[in-house]
Amino acid sequence: MNKEVRCFETGIPIKIYGLSEKSVTITFGTAIDNDLLHLITDFNQLLLQNPFSGFITTVPAYTTLTVFFDPLSVMLSDLPGEVCFEKVSAHLHKIAQIKREKSKVIANKVVIPVCYGGDFGWDLSIVARTNNLIETEVIDIHTAGEYVVFMIGFVPGFAYMGGMDTRISTPRKEVPNAKIPAGSVGIASNQTGIYPMETPGGWQIIGKTPLKMFDVNRSQPSLLKGGDLVTFKAIGIDEFNAYAEI
Amino acid sequence: MSMKISIIKPGLLSTVQDLGRYRYLSQAVPVSGAMDELAHRLANKAVGNDDDNATIEFTYADASFKAETDILVAYSGDGAFLVFNDQVMPAEKPLFFPAGSVIKLIHNAIGVRTYIAVAGGWDVPDVMESKSTYLTADFGGFKGRALQKADVLVSGPVLSEVSKEILEKLIHRSLTYPNWRISRESLLPEKRQNIRVVLGNEICWFDAASIISFLTNSYTIDRKSNRMGYHLSGKPLVRKVKKELLSTAVTPGIIQVTGSGDLIILMADCQTTGGYPRIAHVAAVDLPLCAQLKPGDTIHFSEISSDEAEELFLEREHDLSLITTAISLKYIKT
Repeated sequence: MNKEVRCFETGIPIKIYGLSEKSVTITFGTAIDNDLLHLITDFNQLLLQNPFSGFITTVPAYTTLTVFFDPLSVMLSDLPGEVCFEKVSAHLHKIAQIKREKSKVIANKVVIPVCYGGDFGWDLSIVARTNNLIETEVIDIHTAGEYVVFMIGFVPGFAYMGGMDTRISTPRKEVPNAKIPAGSVGIASNQTGIYPMETPGGWQIIGKTPLKMFDVNRSQPSLLKGGDLVTFKAIGIDEFNAYAEI
Repeated sequence: MSMKISIIKPGLLSTVQDLGRYRYLSQAVPVSGAMDELAHRLANKAVGNDDDNATIEFTYADASFKAETDILVAYSGDGAFLVFNDQVMPAEKPLFFPAGSVIKLIHNAIGVRTYIAVAGGWDVPDVMESKSTYLTADFGGFKGRALQKADVLVSGPVLSEVSKEILEKLIHRSLTYPNWRISRESLLPEKRQNIRVVLGNEICWFDAASIISFLTNSYTIDRKSNRMGYHLSGKPLVRKVKKELLSTAVTPGIIQVTGSGDLIILMADCQTTGGYPRIAHVAAVDLPLCAQLKPGDTIHFSEISSDEAEELFLEREHDLSLITTAISLKYIKT
């Protein structure tokens, strides 16, 4: 069963495929796109508000929303269908037919302070040289942009963001760094991102934020979530240290 | 009254695990949890625990611990045998050891991972609603790390009615255990190197010869294998569709194909999203078999439908619930 159902009143068809015994994935499109992000975010909100029996959680991604469930509870539910895939799909198709109100979800805006260059951003000069800019121009361009968070993946709290100015695009390193400190802000081709924890990585590191991008002691451990709008603010070392002491 | 052990020798990699952390996947927090969920659950059932109580996952053998109080424990898995006073202890049954007992894990050639449950479950703080250890980010389990020499672990203070009854019947000045045990063998297929798979969403990205090759050739577990995933060595697969897969959710059991055509089976600590095409996923009932594979082991894949995989899963769950019922009927008179 892979019947096509159009999502909300948009005319965009959704398709559902089984990912495992405990999950299905809804496909909303094929390319990274802001409208698709809003559609997936709205669908996700509606599903979280109207869960089915056995629903566990969702994982939004660029063009998909994956739904995790407990097969035993799904089989005991009165959703139509013989197997979990049919039962869960029936519920998701119902969600798709809910009349979507004008998106009420106002994007959460997050300002990330960054101390650029120096020991915190040892690749800033490479990014500048690659693009025939001086370092302060790279910082100006990076802080002028507004970035949209498409999804969280890779490691806990890592945000895949879109919207970087291509004037500062820089290829990732051929030989990755063995250790990139938590909070490091990097560029890899047309993307910018922040390392939430110390990991190996191949991005060009241009600075560091004093904010904890992931903290298990917060109710939402990841500082960012899908749909957030991010801007960067340049700070000096004194301000960085003041943050770090909080 | 809590039970207490101290670690004498931690072994290669010993961590506290439960059934995993499912509610933070959207923040890219991996599931983690016991690699071999079946062995973990059977160890718990044997002491009257809930399946989700925390156990210790030992990797291979060469580990030992001391009972600092009287303890009621059970073990299951294929990485080690429990040994006390030079005597191999029976698996999948409750074992009562008096305070002062020294228990060793010795080599079991069959597999990798062994689970030790204690009545009441090992008591470590909940981090994001789970007691599972995730080493990459240093959180969960025992202080966010693998167990070390001299660590002291205690059991949760609340025992289930069944655990209390088991303990009462076994409590003694020396080692005791009952004559019943859970039959783990009856839950596992005979041919353990045959891994059943359901074909994945990107199956059409591969040419026909590669799909046939995937389902007929054997693959060897590579050295680059850990709790995140197993790299397999074998004939590389050829992609017919060269487009890029935009990162999307993945889950333990999924078999990804890398750019060079190599296979990776994702395991408990895998990332929550991935960008490699997925040729198949391991049937949930066979994932515990994968958890016991070690470098050099050879496996082959056979295809089943998603409906069959679900039926097998539901049958397995039914069998497991019968085991719980049978144990509680032995001890609780209704």
